[in-house]
Amino acid sequence: MTSKFLKVFLASALALAALLAGCGKAPAEADLNLATAKQKAAECVEPENVIRTRHMDFLMHQRDATVIEGIRTKQHSLKECINCHVAPAKQDGSPLHYGDKEHFCTTCHAAVGQKIDCFQCHADRPQVGQEPNYQHTIGSAEGHHFAQGVTAATMPTAAEAQMVAQPQPQGAAQ
Amino acid sequence: MSQNRVDEYRRKLVMAAGGVAAGAAALASGFILREANAGGEAPTRPADQAVTNARRWGMLIDVTRLPDGGAAMVAACKQEHGWGDEGHSSDAQKAHWARVVKVTDKLTQNSFSLPVMCQHCEHPPCVDVCPTGASMRRADGIVQVNKHICIGCRYCMMACPYKARSFVHENLTDQRPYSPRGIGTVESCNMCVHRIDEGRLPACVEAAPDAVVFGDLNDPGSAISQALKAMGGKQIRADLNLNTGVRYHGI
Repeated sequence: MTSKFLKVFLASALALAALLAGCGKAPAEADLNLATAKQKAAECVEPENVIRTRHMDFLMHQRDATVIEGIRTKQHSLKECINCHVAPAKQDGSPLHYGDKEHFCTTCHAAVGQKIDCFQCHADRPQVGQEPNYQHTIGSAEGHHFAQGVTAATMPTAAEAQMVAQPQPQGAAQ
Repeated sequence: MSQNRVDEYRRKLVMAAGGVAAGAAALASGFILREANAGGEAPTRPADQAVTNARRWGMLIDVTRLPDGGAAMVAACKQEHGWGDEGHSSDAQKAHWARVVKVTDKLTQNSFSLPVMCQHCEHPPCVDVCPTGASMRRADGIVQVNKHICIGCRYCMMACPYKARSFVHENLTDQRPYSPRGIGTVESCNMCVHRIDEGRLPACVEAAPDAVVFGDLNDPGSAISQALKAMGGKQIRADLNLNTGVRYHGI
């Protein structure tokens, strides 16, 4: 009887310890495969702090302009975000989907616990067959990003900038 | 076949058989007036400018020049937008942006097939009934679903006299980047709006360039206006006064 109780207690303690360890540790950058994204940060369509805090507003504005008015500029197009940032396959060659932690969007959205609905309908990876220039390489001729001019986007507030610069470690684990 | 009312026809849904060649090349040169580019024209508009009502897109389908009844056009649509392969849906639930309808005169047994898709009405019933404004008519006459605000109530499917709309019942992956479609939303032919915005022709028009003329109904000089002037062109359910953008010859 006692030994059984001891076993249960030990198992619970172990589980709790594992849970605590998981909570305290943010996902390592190596796990998240952010190298490509970081490399491309300087070439993004908006300054890094702006795109981090305002990308949802840009996408929301662009979606209505595109569907209702037929405006198909590339600067804030979700399709171009995917083209630039998401690899078509994982390292083992299997298709990369937004449920995988390596997916560019999921890396942050999983960490902050924010569900993405975009990819229920939108393609979550570039189609290599149809888009040969699918991942614009750094410094390539795909200069549409800044060629159209960066919009006069409102700068993030101090609080938002702070949030991005020093994300809260709590709740970051999956 | 003078009658123009679909409810006098026996309608039968023919699932599109892929890989049917258009086979229209052997046909004699017809009376459809045509400009240099086969199938019609879609002038390019700068990507940063909104569509206006200066143009109204339409197409004229010559059924007599479709030996397969339009199966090749349906197959091209399927390939372009990736619909019809929903694995968990029954045949009745599967998406159908376009379908081949076979009609038979009960008296004479005269029979022919025609491709039926969204007719892009000037006064679309689907837009009238939509509670959220998702079912919309773009300024250039294209009727489509704004899936961002579609709640999947399916009123528009009930309202459409052409059975042109379908509903996505299951989770989808690997959609075409230019043609988003997903669970819980209604969808239908959007006249390949992504192609038109680039100045390209719709996929079905490209698949049957000898049988279809695409172009601007507002421009009296366009190929489609000239063809309509020369040979008429019927609307399906003309009695509803919807002024459809898709017209047929030979029905």
